[in-house]
Amino acid sequence: MKLLIIEDELNLLETMIRFLARENNVCEGALSFQTASEKIGIYEYDVIILDITLPDGNGLQLMPLIKKYNPDAGVIIVSARDALDDKISGLDLGADDYLTKPFHLSELNARVKAVWRRKKLHGKQEIRFGEITILPEKREVYVHNKKLTLTRKEYDLLLFFISNPGRMLTKESIAEHLWGDYIDMADHFDFIYTHLNNLRRKIKQAGGDNYVQTVYGMGYKWTDE
Amino acid sequence: MKFLQKINRQYLLILIVLMILISISGYFLLRAIINKEIREDIYEKEYAIIQEIKSQNNLVNIYPIIETKEISKKEIQPKSYKEIYLMDEAEGETEAYLEYTNSVEINNRWYLIKIRHSFLETNDLILAIALPLLLLLVLAFAFSFLITKKLNQTLWKDFEENLQRIESYSFRETGKLSLKNTGIEEFNRLNATITKMTGKLRADYFSLKEFTENASHEIQTPLTVLLLNLEELLQQNLSETEYKQVVSAINAAKRLSSLNRSLLLLTKIENDQFEPDETVSLNNIIQQTLQEYEPLLAAKKLKAEFDSKQKFFVKINHQLAEILIGNLLSNAIKHNMRNGAIQIIIQQNELKICNTGPENALTDKTIFNRFTKEKSASYGLGLAIVKKICEKHDLEIHYLKNELHCFILYSKS
Repeated sequence: MKLLIIEDELNLLETMIRFLARENNVCEGALSFQTASEKIGIYEYDVIILDITLPDGNGLQLMPLIKKYNPDAGVIIVSARDALDDKISGLDLGADDYLTKPFHLSELNARVKAVWRRKKLHGKQEIRFGEITILPEKREVYVHNKKLTLTRKEYDLLLFFISNPGRMLTKESIAEHLWGDYIDMADHFDFIYTHLNNLRRKIKQAGGDNYVQTVYGMGYKWTDE
Repeated sequence: MKFLQKINRQYLLILIVLMILISISGYFLLRAIINKEIREDIYEKEYAIIQEIKSQNNLVNIYPIIETKEISKKEIQPKSYKEIYLMDEAEGETEAYLEYTNSVEINNRWYLIKIRHSFLETNDLILAIALPLLLLLVLAFAFSFLITKKLNQTLWKDFEENLQRIESYSFRETGKLSLKNTGIEEFNRLNATITKMTGKLRADYFSLKEFTENASHEIQTPLTVLLLNLEELLQQNLSETEYKQVVSAINAAKRLSSLNRSLLLLTKIENDQFEPDETVSLNNIIQQTLQEYEPLLAAKKLKAEFDSKQKFFVKINHQLAEILIGNLLSNAIKHNMRNGAIQIIIQQNELKICNTGPENALTDKTIFNRFTKEKSASYGLGLAIVKKICEKHDLEIHYLKNELHCFILYSKS
């Protein structure tokens, strides 16, 4: 997949590119409104990650340009402003998702993949991991071609893991992914454990393997090692 | 009291006092003039009587006005005026007179002359002069009062309009404050000063707002860099100690970010940077928030009871209402114990959120201050935000400890 990342903070841009390029993506970066608008006009992208506060313009003003030259691209707005500021205006202008700084790379990764599937593949893609198959369009999960009945949270949890295979995920990032920003209560991550256990049990009952590793009791990793 | 009312009232008062003074002094002045006329009249009469005696040796006697008689030297009286009362035979009443007495020597013989003038006449005269005068005076004053009043109203009308514009002006509105030109120098000077001051204040307000927002937002970007790199570090093969160190660094960065967000929120509430209020049902918001917090409740095995037979409506921005309830409920969860309970009761314009928790009570006075925390991992801003939202919406909030820890929120109005 081809990505354009528009972010004026070089450090952050480099980190994002380094990370996203690892997943066999072609990543390009733009540090300014000017460069970004040029790139949008010339090249075609699958997903555009857009920071709103740029030194030479408001990132939201790139939206009409994107709609014109890259109508199929999925757009994820990344902003330091939270829900109370820009979220609504960003989504109104046709962005597909909104991520508030600071975010987790695993979260960014999951969102990029979700937006890409939705926009480019119109949801018609199977995600496979060993014996597990996910049909994102229908929100269905199969293990050895046997359909699993998962709750919404269990499904979200599984998709989040499979979007970030081999990656160490902290409890905080999982909690944030599942329940959103409001969870700032560090002592309440027990409830992830419940959902995770149910998920493991259901996969195991269908004959699947347990791919979840616990890391020092502080995080989880989805891996087939 | 309104300015015009005050000025009219004072003007009226001054007019009345002035009128009384003018009337009194007018009365005395008139009296003095008339008295002088009377005396002149009396002297003329005396002169005529003396001439009559000199030429004709005739003693004039017209009762009760003139009395003349010859007297011996011993009976001589000096020239004098006095007030006397005489019986009026025709009307059978006593009447007041001014009596002039004088003794004159004519051809070596002494005569006593008494000339009297009725006061009744004088009073009638004064009345006849004073009444129309007084009437004219009252009319003149009444006209002057009405004209001034009307004039004031027209002159102050523009001022009144400008006052209304200033009252309804808000910094958040687009555009500067524009005031009407009144055509009066003092008012225009006032307008110029106010426009200049509000312009400056508005600029300050926006630059402060922009600075706080930018500062706050700019902090989030380096924090993101920090977090992302720490997370990348986490992907390495770390020992347990190293791993824990990285995770605790991540958590610290997250806390910093969330703290920053809370401070920004507080500033925004303080600066009234939220959209206008609407009537919000707290019942609905509590219902939604409870649903949202369901996993948190389940994790601690908390039992939440919501008694919502009554309704509590508040005029508030919807997002702020969500933050208000969210903070109170998450507090009730956070400071709760396993298998504990949360009671939410809505009564007439009152919301009570109670939770089980540690025995010792908190202090009502300090818990709403920023950064007051009691042995917890929170940042002490949640309740400060709650308090600030309450202050801005005429709500009162108190903490109460009986068997449970309770927060009581009620409407001041």
